[in-house]
Amino acid sequence: MPTPSPAGHPIVVRLLEAPFQPLELLDAWQRSREPSMAVQAAESHFIGRVRPTTASGAPLEALELEHYPGMSEAQLQFLAEACAARHGAGAVLVAHRVGRIAPGEAIVLVAVQADRRGPALRCVQELLEDLKHHAPFWKREWSGGSGTWVAGNTPL
Amino acid sequence: MSHQAAPPDGVVRVRLFAALREQAGWGERQIRLEAGTASAADLWRQLALGADVPTTIRVAINQAFAAPDTPLRPGDEVAFLPPITGG
Repeated sequence: MPTPSPAGHPIVVRLLEAPFQPLELLDAWQRSREPSMAVQAAESHFIGRVRPTTASGAPLEALELEHYPGMSEAQLQFLAEACAARHGAGAVLVAHRVGRIAPGEAIVLVAVQADRRGPALRCVQELLEDLKHHAPFWKREWSGGSGTWVAGNTPL
Repeated sequence: MSHQAAPPDGVVRVRLFAALREQAGWGERQIRLEAGTASAADLWRQLALGADVPTTIRVAINQAFAAPDTPLRPGDEVAFLPPITGG
């Protein structure tokens, strides 16, 4: 359930150990928002999926996501609250997979509600970049039976 | 002052992640700080992880990012984090 932050921006953070359907999660989040909140005119979404090749172009068997339990949730919450406050966004949903993820499966979902399209779009993009660089997650690519830790983020 | 250097016999919990954990061969240890070990950077040296904490490695104390020269206190959880690759 949404937790009102001190600044008044309802933030939902979910770490998921099993595959998830982004549209189902979005639907549940939108329904949870309706009873208590004024309608927000703008809503922006980003869904990230595991690409089927490694950084070196080999076929990917799976992506393994390690994280720092406790700090990862707290850091996502902190980054989402800060981003919502900067842009005056009304509500934020962040879902992130951990564990072993197959090519094509969703790995991250970011959704932002705001009064205008600008804040909604900007907050989604900024929060995505923030979490890629400042939330303790590490990717390992599995290909040909061996795992390689990913050295850095892909270009924007 | 609310923040003081750990006494020489202070014990901290150290955690390593991902590539750093595999290079070191361990992921979590209770460490008794040696004399002269006052900060996360000192702890890095005490654990023979290297001379200085590389700029690519980030430090977290009690699950919040911190500067490597932050003084440690007994009971702290100190983590060394390799480059982050989430999303």
